[in-house]
Amino acid sequence: MSFIELKKINKKYENAERNSVTDFTLNIEEKEFIAFVGPSGCGKSTTLRMIAGFEEITGGDLYIDGKRVNETAPKDRGIAMVFQNYALYPHMTVEKNIGYGLKNMKVPAEEIKKKVDWAVDILGLEEYRYRKPKNLSGGQRQRVALGRAIVKNQKVFLMDEPLSNLDAKLRVSMRNEISKLHRQLGTTTIYVTHDQVEAMTMADRIVIMKDGVMQQVGKPMDLYEHPINKFVAGFIGSPQMNFYNVTVKGEEMTFEDGKKITLPDVVAERLADHQGALIMGIRGEDIKVDEQNRELYKANVQQAVVENTEVMGNENNLYFTYGGSLTVARVSKYELSQMGDKLEFVFSPTKMHFFDKETEENILEK
Amino acid sequence: MMKKKKSNTIMGMAFFGPALVLLTIFLFIPMILTLIFSFTDYFALSPSLTHFVGFENYGKLFKDELFLQSFFNTVKFVLIILPCQGLGALGLALLINKVTHCKKYFKVAFFVPVVMSLAVVSTLWMQIYSPEGILNTILGNLGINAQPFIHSASQALPSIALMSVWQGVGYQMIIFLGGLQAINPALYEAAEMDHASSWQKFKDITLPELKPLCVFVFITVTIGAFRMIVQPMVMTGGGPSHSTYTMVYNIYETGTVNWEIGIASTMAIVFAIFVMILTVIQSILTRDKEDKNVNKKAKNG
Amino acid sequence: MLTKKQKTANWILVIILLIASLFFLFPVIWMLANSFKGDAAITADMNTIKAFIPPALNGNFFDNYVTILTDTKFLKYMLNTLFYAAILIILGIIVNGLAGYALAKIKFPFRERWVLIILLLQIVPMETILTIHFLMIAKVGLLNTVIGYILPMIVNPFNIFLFRQVFISLPDDVYEAAQLDFCGPLKYFFTMVLPMSKTVVATVSVFTFLNVWNDYLWPSLVFTSSDLLTAQIGLNSITSNDNTTMGQTLAVITLITIPVIIIYSLFSKQIVEGVTSTGSKEG
Repeated sequence: MSFIELKKINKKYENAERNSVTDFTLNIEEKEFIAFVGPSGCGKSTTLRMIAGFEEITGGDLYIDGKRVNETAPKDRGIAMVFQNYALYPHMTVEKNIGYGLKNMKVPAEEIKKKVDWAVDILGLEEYRYRKPKNLSGGQRQRVALGRAIVKNQKVFLMDEPLSNLDAKLRVSMRNEISKLHRQLGTTTIYVTHDQVEAMTMADRIVIMKDGVMQQVGKPMDLYEHPINKFVAGFIGSPQMNFYNVTVKGEEMTFEDGKKITLPDVVAERLADHQGALIMGIRGEDIKVDEQNRELYKANVQQAVVENTEVMGNENNLYFTYGGSLTVARVSKYELSQMGDKLEFVFSPTKMHFFDKETEENILEK
Repeated sequence: MMKKKKSNTIMGMAFFGPALVLLTIFLFIPMILTLIFSFTDYFALSPSLTHFVGFENYGKLFKDELFLQSFFNTVKFVLIILPCQGLGALGLALLINKVTHCKKYFKVAFFVPVVMSLAVVSTLWMQIYSPEGILNTILGNLGINAQPFIHSASQALPSIALMSVWQGVGYQMIIFLGGLQAINPALYEAAEMDHASSWQKFKDITLPELKPLCVFVFITVTIGAFRMIVQPMVMTGGGPSHSTYTMVYNIYETGTVNWEIGIASTMAIVFAIFVMILTVIQSILTRDKEDKNVNKKAKNG
Repeated sequence: MLTKKQKTANWILVIILLIASLFFLFPVIWMLANSFKGDAAITADMNTIKAFIPPALNGNFFDNYVTILTDTKFLKYMLNTLFYAAILIILGIIVNGLAGYALAKIKFPFRERWVLIILLLQIVPMETILTIHFLMIAKVGLLNTVIGYILPMIVNPFNIFLFRQVFISLPDDVYEAAQLDFCGPLKYFFTMVLPMSKTVVATVSVFTFLNVWNDYLWPSLVFTSSDLLTAQIGLNSITSNDNTTMGQTLAVITLITIPVIIIYSLFSKQIVEGVTSTGSKEG
């Protein structure tokens, strides 16, 4: 049995028309760092809160460490939680905030001090030990919230968008701290975020949700390279994948505006049963502007006019319209195309994804 | 799932329980008992002789001279206190809001009488209203004869009423001041640009913005005046000739002095109905104005 | 910038208000000034401006006050009242605070109906059920006892309402965090909710204190033995005593008012907040 098992978990609020979460099934192994990602309202926080016990499970079963815990109170589930707004006890110092749970667990005073010292040290809070939350910055508060969670040695950490109230730079450094903490402590962690970059960089596995339904679960790179539908493909990766309305007939792929590309045999074969209108998706880094690739696929070289450029420092983004859609290509920083310049490029043929127009499923991943 | 609902119920009853028990014993039951007793001839000194008499008490009440007098006295109190205290508070608030110096002093000065308890104020003014008291002395210096004030059947009620206004006006003044502060100053600035005169600003901005507060204050003052008992009790014992005998005083005396619980309960019910009608009127008037304002604004776009 | 005309108008307004305030305050000034005088002096000074001026500061200045404090039971009455107020404040916060919290945060059956009832109860005029309270307390033999006095006064719909308004805005996630820290609901209320709501606790305490201090009818019904009297009732017994001079009467009522003035000056903010929250529209 896995460490945490969610079997067809459903959530429906009393006067709601639809489920907030539908048939969520997942097995989480011990020591895993799992991220729940998705847009607002996709049900990720609701699912987390059901695991925590703060939301009732309408249907399905939840098992933690072998025990069915649907009816168990949050405090008896062996979990610790980090909240989006930190939820620190406003009238207690950092030290007291962190040690509060241990005190209520009737842990002897010396042990409490040892554990609090350890948490304060690990999180770099020594300077702020005797401060109250109102005198702490957002990042410091979040670290106190983390301290409160780690000090109790619970089996599972639940984190509900802990970094979303911090500014961008702080978020990056806190991300690293949390990952480091996870490596050190090895506690099973479920991490909810709407930021796919966070999920990609921190998680062992990612669960993507939309409208209460799990879309795909897998390792970050799996989701990146083998998204099973258009939503996942568009959600993961930045800048977003480019999508085009195309018509496929045999080896010929025609874009909205009439432009044509020849598909390689391997691809055309696999699309044999899916002729007609499709959605083609390709990531910015798979649109090649360099000479080598243009030479390699010279039969399919396309042209466009650069509309905008973004200089990122380590690479550039070039924006242009092609095939009826605004396209972004990620190119090397040495590629010096400017706004208004003519651009020649090829679509890397093996990197194209094809999605069914109605179901939006990734045809090549089936 | 049921467990969570059940644990919430238990927790809710545990938290709300003590208050609920006390509310039941000291509010719900007394209210019900009062209603029940109003239909009986319950005389506390011989409880075993109690009978149900239906609406007899109610019928008798409206023919009882003392009750009628206490009712009219109460109404007279309200007729004096409401305009004086309500408008007085409003006027003071407007003036103090406008003044630029000594604001804090004025706020405190007019509030001092509020701080004194009813018994204290009554005791103090008994001295002031005394035939050789300071008030008569001052009047004497102005060439006016000494007045009997609370010792005369015709002057007692107004004397107590004005004393009550003196004590209460500061409280409503503070409430009005709060309301005036809450008016968006931008409204006045806009009116200024529209060449509005001071009177127009008052008429078209201040008054409309204050209307809900006005209704609230006026109803509260009215209800407060209806409940008058301590002042006449301390100062005049309800006289002279029952001229300061109020409804609540009547209820109190009938119940705790004469032990005629049945009749007292009847009076209490009638009184309570009056008060509740007034409160309902207030909420209707306040809500009405709000809705009217909203509709007006919606119409005018 | 104000025009000269506006500035003059302002000053006129100030003067008008000043005169008005003097008219307003003359009873209080008279009370204070004459509380230091003997009866002879009061009568003698009545017709002059000296009626509003305290006597010379000599050895007899505080005589009236000293007599009141030493020769009468007034001090005891004040202490009684403080004692009753203290008990009532503590019990009141517990009973009304817990109720307010339940109505704000705990989802129990019929909760919203109870909120409505609490709201409606504030309309009931208390004077109408005083007699019943008296009969009840008498029936269980608690007349003339502190318990008998306090019992009907503990629960207070207005305070429950105040508590509820404040508790509604408490963040839910702090309670969830406390749950995960093994903090039970009752403990949470006393160690977290109350400290997080210091203002409303202060407001309710102040209102309760003023309620007890100024209360007249109920203590006069309940207490018969002079040892238990509150300040307001005790006032009556002192002033109706033939030996009490007018100056001493004025001294007594000044003494009674002093604690209230202190409370009002220390807690004016909380009081105004509590008062204006009832002035705000409901629902």
